[in-house]
Amino acid sequence: MLLRNVFTKTVRDLRWPTFWVALGMGGMTAYFAILYPTYSKILDISSLLAKMGPVAKLMGATGDVNTLTGFLHIELFSMILPALLVALAAGLSSGFTAGEESRGTIDVLLSYPISRRRLVLEKSLAVLLACVVAAAVTWALGLTGAAISSSPLAADKLAAACVMLVLVSLVYGSLALAISTATGNRGAAIGVAVGLLVVTYLIDGLANIVDGLNSIRWISPFKYYMGNDPLRNGIDLGDAAVLIGATALFLIVSLIAFDRRDLAS
Amino acid sequence: MPAAIETSKLTKWYGHHSRGVIDVDLVVEAGQIFGFLGPNGAGKSTTIRLLLDLIRPTSGTARVLGLDVHRDRLAIDRRVSYVPGELSLYGDLTGRQLLTYLGNLQGTVDQAYRDKLVERLELDTSRRVKTLSRGNKQKVGLVAAFMIRPELLILDEPTAGLDPFIQLEFEHLCEEARGEGRTVFISSHQLPEVEHLCDRVGIIREGRLLAVESIATLKERALRKLEIEFSGAVDPAAFAGLPGVQDVVIEKGVLRCTVMGSLDALVKVAARFEVVNLRSIETSLEEIFMAYYGAGDATVGGKEAGHAAA
Repeated sequence: MLLRNVFTKTVRDLRWPTFWVALGMGGMTAYFAILYPTYSKILDISSLLAKMGPVAKLMGATGDVNTLTGFLHIELFSMILPALLVALAAGLSSGFTAGEESRGTIDVLLSYPISRRRLVLEKSLAVLLACVVAAAVTWALGLTGAAISSSPLAADKLAAACVMLVLVSLVYGSLALAISTATGNRGAAIGVAVGLLVVTYLIDGLANIVDGLNSIRWISPFKYYMGNDPLRNGIDLGDAAVLIGATALFLIVSLIAFDRRDLAS
Repeated sequence: MPAAIETSKLTKWYGHHSRGVIDVDLVVEAGQIFGFLGPNGAGKSTTIRLLLDLIRPTSGTARVLGLDVHRDRLAIDRRVSYVPGELSLYGDLTGRQLLTYLGNLQGTVDQAYRDKLVERLELDTSRRVKTLSRGNKQKVGLVAAFMIRPELLILDEPTAGLDPFIQLEFEHLCEEARGEGRTVFISSHQLPEVEHLCDRVGIIREGRLLAVESIATLKERALRKLEIEFSGAVDPAAFAGLPGVQDVVIEKGVLRCTVMGSLDALVKVAARFEVVNLRSIETSLEEIFMAYYGAGDATVGGKEAGHAAA
């Protein structure tokens, strides 16, 4: 069944990394949701954050943290979950073409009647699916955790945050894809994607503290990911459109670059 | 019927010190087994990867089955199979899974024929590909290539790692393909591996196609190194001036020489003495090239010969 075509074969290849990342993301979300009432009793989170001062702002602590929603926002959605999902998306996307190339399987694969563009598209679709699955598991386990601890957590808002999580991860994933398809260098693809993840995260976080950074804040995908605080306010369509647009742009670059290039032997 | 492969001034330029191919004009007629010979690094794989559109030429054109290798790649890939020299396969799949996947990518595959090929090449398809030896991996690649009954098979060093029995079976498969009017294009750096199988061979060296010859012509021109051991001393004068015999050295009753073409004259002279042993040393490709440069006649082309000598 899963050996039907490149898409299904890729889904098959991705099943374990996807499983583990989904379990990690969902598990952490459930963990925090279950333990939130206990935490909030023994720790005064808002005063703790007040003591942290600017660092809390850097971490994206905005608004009310004395709710499970605010707690999940600062503990997970501002950094850890995007980092995990970006790692999945970028790691997988960079592996497709550059990985097949360094293993030499691309020669065999492309001697079959499948165009280079279709190869990139089918593999990208599989990454999209992997990210959606990981986010969906996060959503389901988060809600389950909240139900166990009887903490209020809006299903639709959590879904909105998970959607935005997928969208922001796809930006970095498609960037990694573009670099790997253009160069055939997997290390460079992962390195640049992760490097930019850190830099753009810091730009967005530091812009809360350093006024000078506000002028370049627009280049950070995190601005569009977290700007509207989807966990409280839902999806801002404009923000979503920016993230989708950036992903589409990188994907188009990938398709063109891969189609034109000499493949490594 | 268009030629199976036709290149015109095909050039891939990687700079002065790198492997590439220069002005390759190659025609492989349909229905032949064609050997593409050259030492390692001569440009065999580069040529093949140009034919498959894995890399793009610096200049020149290539057509496969009459179609443009870039514009019509998908149409070509439906009718052509390829086994790369350094065959890499998805190691986590079993042989059977891999053949299923590749068959699905191709479209439809005659399952019964596939199973017959597996049997003939004695391939264990239940094992994961990464646990297979080089020869067994090669068999997976060959089954995948033959199972779709392509009009053209492009096989880059296909016999590396195969044991002699399987190699024989592989040769039968090639001959069957030819019998059905299909074309087999085999690259190799060893003439003995392909000489009894191929109808014609092309010789490539340092990126240039030196010659395309029938095997019969090539053998006539091939140099052979010969060692004849006699029971006693022999008269050197008897071996002087024999047609095609060069570099005669006689030492302690052992004659060493190089022969181009027929051995007949030499053997008849040697038969006058008591021969203890006779050894023919396989002609290496290099020596065949040397024969070509040395001869430098019209079939090689004055330009190439001149270049090679430079």
